[in-house]
Amino acid sequence: MSKFNFPFIKETNELSNLRKEVREFITNCINNNEFTPSPDAWVFSADPSFSKKIGSKGWLGMSFPREYGGHQRTALERYVVTEELLSSGAPVAAHWIADRQSGSQILRYGNEKQKSSIIPRITAGECFFAIGMSEPDSGSDLASVKTKATKTKNGWKLEGRKIWSTGAHLAHYMIVLARTSPASEKNRHEGLSQFLVDLSLPNVKITGIPDMTGQRHFNETLFDNVELSDDSLLGEEGKGWKQVVGELALERSGPERFLSHFTLLDSFINEFRNSLIHSGTKIVGKLISEIQTLRRMSFSVASMLQNGESPETQAAFVKELGNKFEKMMIETLREFSNIVPLHEWPNQLQNLFEDATLRIPSNSLRGGTTEIMKGIIARQLGLR
Amino acid sequence: MIEELEIILETTSKILQKHVNHSLRQNIVSENTDILNLWNDIEKNGLPKISVKEKFGGYEIPFFSILPLIKIVNNHGTPLPLSETILSNYILSESDINPPNGIVTFASDTKNLQIKNNMISGEILSVPYLNLTKNLLIVHELNNVKKAILINEINGEIIHKKNFLAEPRYNIKVENLNIAEMKPIKNNIDFNFLGAILRSAQMIGAMEKVVDLSINYCSERKQFGRTLSKFQAIQHQISEMAVELSASSAALSTITELGLGEKNSNDTAILKIRAGFAAGKIIAISHQVHGAIGFTKEYELSYFTKNLNSWRNDFGNESFWEEFLGKRFLEKNNKNLWEYLT
Repeated sequence: MSKFNFPFIKETNELSNLRKEVREFITNCINNNEFTPSPDAWVFSADPSFSKKIGSKGWLGMSFPREYGGHQRTALERYVVTEELLSSGAPVAAHWIADRQSGSQILRYGNEKQKSSIIPRITAGECFFAIGMSEPDSGSDLASVKTKATKTKNGWKLEGRKIWSTGAHLAHYMIVLARTSPASEKNRHEGLSQFLVDLSLPNVKITGIPDMTGQRHFNETLFDNVELSDDSLLGEEGKGWKQVVGELALERSGPERFLSHFTLLDSFINEFRNSLIHSGTKIVGKLISEIQTLRRMSFSVASMLQNGESPETQAAFVKELGNKFEKMMIETLREFSNIVPLHEWPNQLQNLFEDATLRIPSNSLRGGTTEIMKGIIARQLGLR
Repeated sequence: MIEELEIILETTSKILQKHVNHSLRQNIVSENTDILNLWNDIEKNGLPKISVKEKFGGYEIPFFSILPLIKIVNNHGTPLPLSETILSNYILSESDINPPNGIVTFASDTKNLQIKNNMISGEILSVPYLNLTKNLLIVHELNNVKKAILINEINGEIIHKKNFLAEPRYNIKVENLNIAEMKPIKNNIDFNFLGAILRSAQMIGAMEKVVDLSINYCSERKQFGRTLSKFQAIQHQISEMAVELSASSAALSTITELGLGEKNSNDTAILKIRAGFAAGKIIAISHQVHGAIGFTKEYELSYFTKNLNSWRNDFGNESFWEEFLGKRFLEKNNKNLWEYLT
C-alpha cells in the first residue's frame, strides 16, 4: 500500500511572495468594503465584478498558455492564489468552475475555435461556467445520463435535463455530458461525449432550485431540442467518459475541499483565544494538524497536475479527508459551546456557525459523494 | 547519496525477506540462532551505523533521510530493535560518542535517576528488547544540560516485563551502574522529537503491511458465495484505512525532506498525531475485516497491530502533541491562524 504517495513539495520564496501579494490585495478589498468574507464562498458568493478584478490581476487561467490570454504560470502558483482567496472567504463563485476545470478541459480537448474564443474570456474573468454532469435520474451513477445529443445536418440536437447545476443562472457556458450513441452491453462508459453549450441559446431553460439554506445556487437546466453547431462537440465523440474522469480530478483535489469554512474557524479563534488557551489547546492543535496535512497533500496533487500526471485517485483521497475534516471542525466548535454558550457568541460568529452547520451536509455530496470516493479508492486497491 | 540509499534499501529488503518470518517473531531471545544470524547480516551491511559519522565507521546518511529504511524494517515486521539502534547510534555519534557494535537500545523514560561518580542509579523504564543487548542509551537532563549517557553493561533488577505487546519491553532498577560515556547533547538533538519521528515511521511501515494483509485476506476469503472484497461495506472500510495511511505518509514525507529545523518543528507533532490516529483506525478496521483469524497468535496480523498499539503511546500520544501544537500557536504568537499556518 505504498502506491499512493504524496511527495513533499516545498513552497519556494517566489510562491511565498505571490501569496503575500494576493493577501495584500484581499486585505485592501476588505478594508474598502468591496466584499464581506463569507463561508462556502466558492459555491455561494458570486460577484462578477470581483472576478473581473481578479482576472485583471492575472490570477485567473494562471496556468493557461499565453497565446490564449493565459499567464503560463504553474499549477503551484494557482494553488497559492486559490488558497488565499478561499481562506479569506472572497466572492469567487462566479468564475470558480471556469477557472478550476472548464478552462483546462477546453484547452486539453477543445478545437482551435473553442480555445481562442473562450479561454481569453475566462482569464479575463468575463466568462463563467456551470457543470453539466448530474441529472434528475443520474447522480452518483454518472454513466447512466440520459441527456442525448443527436447528429443533425448542421450539427447536433441536444435534448435532456441537467440538475444541481451550481451557478448556471450566472454562467455563459456549460460542459454537458451526453449520450451520442447507446451504451454497449459490455461497457456503459462508451457512447458518451462532452459538449460545450452556450447557455444563451434558444430552448435552454434555467430554473433555480432553492437549497435548504434558502439561497439559490442550484439550478435545473432544460435542453429542449437545442440546436448546437457542429463544433460544439468538445473533444472526441464517444470519449466523454475518459474526458469527464479527468475533469473530476481537477474538481476534487483543490483546497476548497477543506477551506470552505475557514473564515468560521479563523473568527472563532480570534474571538475565543483566551478561553481556548485555558481549555481548548488540544482541539486547536488537532485542527492545525488536520489542515496542515491536507494542505501538504493538496499542494502535492497540484504538483502532479503540473507534471502532467493523472492523480484521480489522489484527488479522491484529498476530497475524502477534506470532507471529513470540515465536518469534524464544525462538530468541534459546537462542542466548545459547552465552555462559552452559543447564545453568548457574537452575532456574526453565531451566523457563520449556523450557516456552516446548515451547509456542511453538502460537502460530501458535491464533486462526488463519500461513497463514490471510497469506491474509487477501493478499485485502485484492487478490491473491485 | 540518493543512489547509495536506494542500494541500501534494496539490500535491506533482501536480507529481511531471507530471514524474517512469523515464527522468528515468536521466539525473540538471544539464544535463538536465527535471531543472531539476522542481526549478523544486518550488521555486516552497516545498517546499525547508517546515520553515524564516518569517523566512527558509519555511512553518515542524515537520520531524516533514512526514514524510508525504518519504514521497510517495520514493514517486514523485523523482530529486532534495529530502529532503536539506528536512532541511539545517531544520537551517540552526534554527541561525539563512538557507538558500540551490536544492538543498542534506549530508555524511553526514567524515574529517580541519580548520577554520582560516573555511576547511575534509579529506574529505567520501557526499554525495548533489553533481553538482547547490554548496550543502552539514556538521555537525561543534568544541571540543565541534556546528556547522552551510554551504558554498555546494563544490569539490574527487572521490576516489570511487559508481555502484552509484541516487542519485549522492560522496566529495570539499577544501582551504581558504571557509565561507559556521558557527554552533552547538541541543542538541535531533541530525543522526544526524534523518538516521536522514529515511532511514526515505524508505524507507517507496519500500517502499510496491515493494509496489504487486509486487502489480500479479503480478496481470498469467501463468504456468502463471493470474496469479502466484493462487499461494498468491506471495500469502504479498507478505503478508510488507505485514506488515513496516506495522510500519515504525507506527514512523514515532510520530515524526510525538511528534517527538523526551527521553522518546521510543528511537523513532528503533526506526524505523530496523524500516525497515531491512523494506527487507531487501522488496528480496529484490520481486525474487523479479518474476523477471528486475525485474533490468533499464529496469524501475523496481531504482531503488527500489537506493535502499533505500543508505538502510538510512545513519545507522546495524539493528545500530548495536539496540546503541544495548540499551546504553541495560542500562547506564543498573536498572528491569526491563516498567517500562522502559511
